[in-house]
Amino acid sequence: MTFSDDKPTMIEFKDVHKYYGDYHALRGINGTIKAGEFFSLLGPSGCGKTTLLRTIAGFEGISSGAVLIDSKSMEGVPANERPTNMVFQSYAIFPHMSVAENVGFGLRKDPRSKAEKARAVEEALEMVGLKGYGGRAAHALSGGQRQRVALARALILKPKVLLLDEPLSALDKKMREHMQVELIKLQRQVGITFILVTHDQEEALVMSDRIAVMFDGEIAQLADPETLYRRPMSKKVADFIGTMNFVPATVLSEAGGQVEVEAKGLGRVMLDATIQPPIKGESPVVGLRPETLTLLYDDQKATERETEGVVDEVIYFGDMTYYDVYLGGTDVEVRLSMRNVPGRPILDVGSKVRVAWSPSALVLFR
Amino acid sequence: MKSPSLRIYAIAYLVFLYAPIILLPLFAFNDSKVVQFPLKGVTLEWFRQMAGDAQLGIAVKNSLIIALSSSILSTTLGIFAARASTRFRFPAKGALMGLIMLPMVLPEIIVAMSLLIVLLAIGVKLSLFTIILGHVLVCTPFATAILTSAFQSLDKSLEEAAYDLGETPLSTFRLIILPLVLPGIISAFLICFTISIDEFIVSNFLGSGEAILSVYIFGQFRFPAKVPSMLALGTILVLISICLLTIAEYFRRRGIAKTGGKDTGGFL
Repeated sequence: MTFSDDKPTMIEFKDVHKYYGDYHALRGINGTIKAGEFFSLLGPSGCGKTTLLRTIAGFEGISSGAVLIDSKSMEGVPANERPTNMVFQSYAIFPHMSVAENVGFGLRKDPRSKAEKARAVEEALEMVGLKGYGGRAAHALSGGQRQRVALARALILKPKVLLLDEPLSALDKKMREHMQVELIKLQRQVGITFILVTHDQEEALVMSDRIAVMFDGEIAQLADPETLYRRPMSKKVADFIGTMNFVPATVLSEAGGQVEVEAKGLGRVMLDATIQPPIKGESPVVGLRPETLTLLYDDQKATERETEGVVDEVIYFGDMTYYDVYLGGTDVEVRLSMRNVPGRPILDVGSKVRVAWSPSALVLFR
Repeated sequence: MKSPSLRIYAIAYLVFLYAPIILLPLFAFNDSKVVQFPLKGVTLEWFRQMAGDAQLGIAVKNSLIIALSSSILSTTLGIFAARASTRFRFPAKGALMGLIMLPMVLPEIIVAMSLLIVLLAIGVKLSLFTIILGHVLVCTPFATAILTSAFQSLDKSLEEAAYDLGETPLSTFRLIILPLVLPGIISAFLICFTISIDEFIVSNFLGSGEAILSVYIFGQFRFPAKVPSMLALGTILVLISICLLTIAEYFRRRGIAKTGGKDTGGFL
């Protein structure tokens, strides 16, 4: 999953700040986006992710710092002269034009002949799966079709960077999941750098080569999806991405790259200090993902560690069951997930269970 | 309308509002110099008299000049005001927009009187031009109201998309904004035109004795013999007004439908 580092840089943020009056919307953004990368800006609403996207497009100026596209500073370069195109959240399909007129809108100043432009429009429509829709009225399209028209309209100009502002948020769940896969395929096919803004962590994990998680105008962590999920740098990131159990802990000793921790309900455990988040100052907790905890049935033995518990809640999801379990006679409750396979019964609330886990899956936040 | 008393109220209300207007065409075709029941016979005499009135011709011409000029000016000002209020943030925006809309609710006689005093004080001669100025003041709030609704239903990202696709702010206005708000502009223009044609108080105060349609009609009512032909004229004016307002409303609704917005308000 990791994205190769040898690709050239497409976008570079250098200490970007943005103020709206007194409001500090972007607080020192640094980072690079590689050419051909599918990059996501992920965060809750109001974290500045859309603002950051709009500074790339040129719709927002920046108060200080620099945004570079393909090594060129974008200072003073207006949106209509930047090598970027945008797919808007509302799609912004021109309602008084046909589908073909929408898609071909950006070619108005293109010196090519009418027939060549028409062919380019038809190719762009074919690429997004709307072959033959050119003559239709734009306002008569469904949400998914509008989305495709917006994509075709932006991609026909072969931008260096395609900016997508929450493009899937207006679609229903099925359509959204379908479009996620289509977008990934499309991005691989055209090889253009895609930058996606989303508040949906699942969407970001599914689609991205790398993700920048943003809170309060700052990038909290910039990493590939797997690193982000398995080794979050802070409790806040861990909490935002997927589900994370937090168990109160005490740091007992630290030496030789090892840290010994007493985690409530789990007992003493030695962790590799070098891979733990370096940020300090929080009261220590260890985090575990639900799928790193396993219920032991009958005479199954844990390969590493084992802890007893009592089932407090059972949440049935069809393919999965989530159990909320009190650990080892404490008030520490963790959520764990079990795949529902044949011959594995769903347990009842109140069942005494044994939970297997591995110290290597723990993340220490302190 | 489930309760019968509400139904009666509604009917009475409509009769009260529109019965006098229905009387207008009734007597315009009535073969009698006296406006009273019972009706006599049908005649086109009053329309003939009206058509032969040279002074009326001048009044119509003057009123058309005033209505065209003031509706063009008001609509243009309305476009600026509506665009500014829907797209930009600036200090004292609420107060400024309120001031633009104020003449809509101010008693017109006050507006007319104050205008007259100001114009006389700064030494402007009364003419058709001063009437046009007055009408612009009266019409601009209506144009602004209609156009604000048109501009508001315009998604801002449409402009950004055009800009993003390589257009300049000016060509974006021409290719995207203008076509989408054009129905609103036509609608505003027609409403202003109708208001200006009907307007009496400002025309009466700020005119210098030129024949203006509304003032002329008022003057003719002093002569009983002229009343039936004025009713004929009134009939024609009512028909034109209804046509203009219907066309205006058609364009306003079409504009909202075009941009995919929801209809909120309007005049009809």
